[in-house]
This record gives sequence, C-alpha cells and structure tokens, in this order.
Amino acid sequence: MTRFVLQPFVAIGRGSAVLAVGVGRWGTLVAETVRAARHLDIWLRLLIPQMARVGVDSVPIALFVALFTGIVLSVQASYTFTGAVPMYFVGVLVGKTMMLELGPVLTGLALSGRVGANIAAEIGTMRVTEQIDALETLAYPPMAYLVLPKVLAGVIMFPVVTALAIGMGISAGLVTSVQLLDMTVLEFNRGLMLFFEPFDVTFAMIKALSFGFVVTTIGCMFGFHTRGGAEGVGDATTRAVVVSSMVILVLDAFWAVTLL
Amino acid sequence: MSIQIRDLHKSFGEKVVLAGFSAEAREGETLVILGGSGTGKSVALKHVVGLLEPDRGEVVVDDQVVGELAGEELFELRRQVGYVFQFAALFDSLTVADNVAMGLRRVGGLSESEIGDRVTECLELVELAGFENRSPAELSGGQRKRAGIARAIASRPRYILYDEPTTGLDPLTKAVIDRLILRTRDELGVTGIMITHDMDSAFRVADRFAMLYEGRCRFFGTPQELRTSEDPVVRSFIEGRPELLEEGE
Repeated sequence: MTRFVLQPFVAIGRGSAVLAVGVGRWGTLVAETVRAARHLDIWLRLLIPQMARVGVDSVPIALFVALFTGIVLSVQASYTFTGAVPMYFVGVLVGKTMMLELGPVLTGLALSGRVGANIAAEIGTMRVTEQIDALETLAYPPMAYLVLPKVLAGVIMFPVVTALAIGMGISAGLVTSVQLLDMTVLEFNRGLMLFFEPFDVTFAMIKALSFGFVVTTIGCMFGFHTRGGAEGVGDATTRAVVVSSMVILVLDAFWAVTLL
Repeated sequence: MSIQIRDLHKSFGEKVVLAGFSAEAREGETLVILGGSGTGKSVALKHVVGLLEPDRGEVVVDDQVVGELAGEELFELRRQVGYVFQFAALFDSLTVADNVAMGLRRVGGLSESEIGDRVTECLELVELAGFENRSPAELSGGQRKRAGIARAIASRPRYILYDEPTTGLDPLTKAVIDRLILRTRDELGVTGIMITHDMDSAFRVADRFAMLYEGRCRFFGTPQELRTSEDPVVRSFIEGRPELLEEGE
C-alpha cells in the first residue's frame, strides 16, 4: 500500500533527475560549442556544406507541409466566416496564422524530425564506432568539427526555410481562395495587409532562429551521449526528435507570452 | 622517449576496471599488453592520449603527465601519437585518402600536393595503393585496419598505439599487419603499445609484454620470460588452458 502511494513521487523524482541531467549536459555542450568558436580554421570550411544539408535539403519537406497548411487554413476560414464576417478576413487569418504560428512551428517540427534525427544518428554512430575518439587523437576538437558547423547552419537556415514556408503557405491560401472560394486576389491581399505589422516577420524569424538552435544542439547532445550499438543510436535519435519537438512547443508559448 | 603507465586506477560507476595498473613502453620497443576480453586493455590505452582521465595514477609520455595537459599542449602530444582503433574508426563520409590526410591537414605546414604525396606513400606502405578514392564502406575488414594504420603513421608520429589490430582477421591478413607493425618500428623507429589477446600476433611483434589481470599488471617482461613464466594465470592465458587457472586457485 505504501509502495503504491509513493510510486507517483518516485516517478516524479526520477523524471526530475533525468531532466536535470539532460539540462546539465545541454548547457555543457552549448558552453563548449561557444568555446570551440576560436577554431575558425576547422569549422568555417564545414559551414557551407552543413547549411546545404540542414537548410537546402529541408526545403522540399517544409514547402510540402506549408502548401497543405495554406490550403486548409483558407478553406476552414471561409467555412467559419461565411455569412458572418467579410470574406477578405480569410487573408487576415491565413497571413497572421502562417506568420505568427504555423509557419515557424510546423517548419520547426518537420525539421526536428529531419535535421534533429539526422544529427543525432550521425554523431551517435560516430560515437559508438569510436570516430569521435579518432577525431580527438587527430587533434580535432569534436565541438569545432562536428557541433559548431551544425548549430550555426541551423541558426542561419531555419529562418530561411521558415520564410520560404510562410511564403508557400500564404500563396497556397491565395490560390485556394481564388480558385475555390470565389474571392479575388485583391480581396485576399486586402485581408492579408489589413492587420499586418512588420514585427510579425521579426517574430517569426526569432522563433525560427531559436528552433534552429534547440533542434541542432539537442540532436548533437543526444548523439554525443549515445551508448551501445545500433539500439543506442536508435534510442538517441528518437529522444532527440521527441525532446526537440517538446522544446519547440514550450519555446513557442514562451515567445508568445514574452513578445506579443 | 617512453610511455610510462603508473598505478592507473579507473572505474565506471561501480565497475572497477583498472586497479593500479603499471607498465612501460621503452624507446623504440613495442610493448604488448595482454589480457582477456573486458579486462580494461582499451581503457588503459585511451589514457595514453588523454581520451580518458584516470581516477588515480598517471600516464607519462616524454616526461609529460598526460592528465595535466590541456588545449595546445594536449594537441602537441597527440601530434606525436598515432592511434590505430580496434575497428579502424575511419570516417564514413570521407574517402580513404581524405581519412589518411586528415591528421596532416590539422598539423599544417604541408601543401596539398605534399599531403597527397604523403598519403600515397602511406597507402603504399600498407599495401593499399590505388584505394585512395574508395569509401571506407567499400573496404574489407583487413583493408580497413590497414587504412587505419596508414592514417596513424601519416603524420610520422613517435609513438603508435594499436588497439587489437589483428582481431577477427584471417591468418594471412594478420601476418601482413604484424609485418607492418614491425616495419613501422624498424623503419620509422616508433615506440609502440599494442593490446591484443591474439598470442601468435603478440609473440611476432612484442619486445616486452605486460599482462593485465583483475585491473593490475600480473606480468611484465620479455617474450622469453613470458614463455618460461610459472604463474598459472599467465600460463593459462598464453596456452589457452583455463584448467591451469583452476589448479592454481
């Protein structure tokens, strides 16, 4: 009976310990990554290839998600507004929602699956096959060679990919409104510009930048602490995706509360 | 020019791996560290280049205590040491040539054409000429190990550490790798430490043996002394006869 009563507290205690260890490891990795910036000769030449991997290769999935999000948003807005609100408010809803929320968040979540998993699997495999040890014996600081180029690429390219996704979502909403909802381009644009604030773009970019930072650093952290063989790599990859997705949602709320 | 391992202690959680291990690789010699699987041979070796920090004790290379080095000093030490990993640890994303060139590019001071010449020379030495543009995935186990040796010797180190270089290989490939280890000692004059539980290979390359048993050095001496040892633990290991160990107990 006592054991049954104590079980939730034990679980909370264990969960808190795991969380504390994770935050500690993440903080250490971030601090070491900042220190590794002095090895410019190592990470600078790796930055462009990483930007291509993290950013350019992620554009198709981000645009795919944004395309269908834009279509659904415009149709659902029309369904909600018909007879009660002027139809140009479809443009308001599509524009605001894509910029402030769905563009950055859906792109972040899609990229946490693609980029975060890729990073954790790559570094995790290098860890269990002693490639990271080999890097150290060849006098390459792993943080400068493996982590910093990936983190910088994420911070630079997530906003770029998000901007493209926002553009795609709004364009898809416009085309859907004109083709299916009997709206004109002018009507949609009127709604789009009605409550537009330049800060909306800044807000979206701040979110995307922070998502890029957490997805790449969390992927690197789980990769670095991989133990065992293929199972350990699989475990690290899953954890990287789950944790970075959760952190994206927490950050999303944080930015909304602090900046809006 | 020697590597001294002094009273090394290392535990991982509750598991005590090294409990006061000491050994020495003298100048121009190859020390072979023997021991069964999981006795901590690789753990001991990783202390030599600072991949692990000891709980107690020290490793001294060229009169420098490895555990006290950091940053540029550790980088300088690692420049002097080549490390051949058990499964080669070649970088998957690079070609064989780029793997071998990796350390040279980090050290600096060589042009790309000089690096190319050095890579060709090292690959010829390990009988992998013509494999420059292959990826590690296209190599057999023995070829991967030889590529790992080429990478380790490319920067002309003064010390080489071999982590089970012949484990899992066929007898012919083992002999090729043993010959290579002897050539690196004789032609490049390097001081080496090899860890293995392959006795044929060990007797071919060793100038001196250390046997790791229950975290400590059970035996240290020449191949002749090892052959004539009366210690049942040593005898049972080198003869592959566990009954000697049981009789000794």
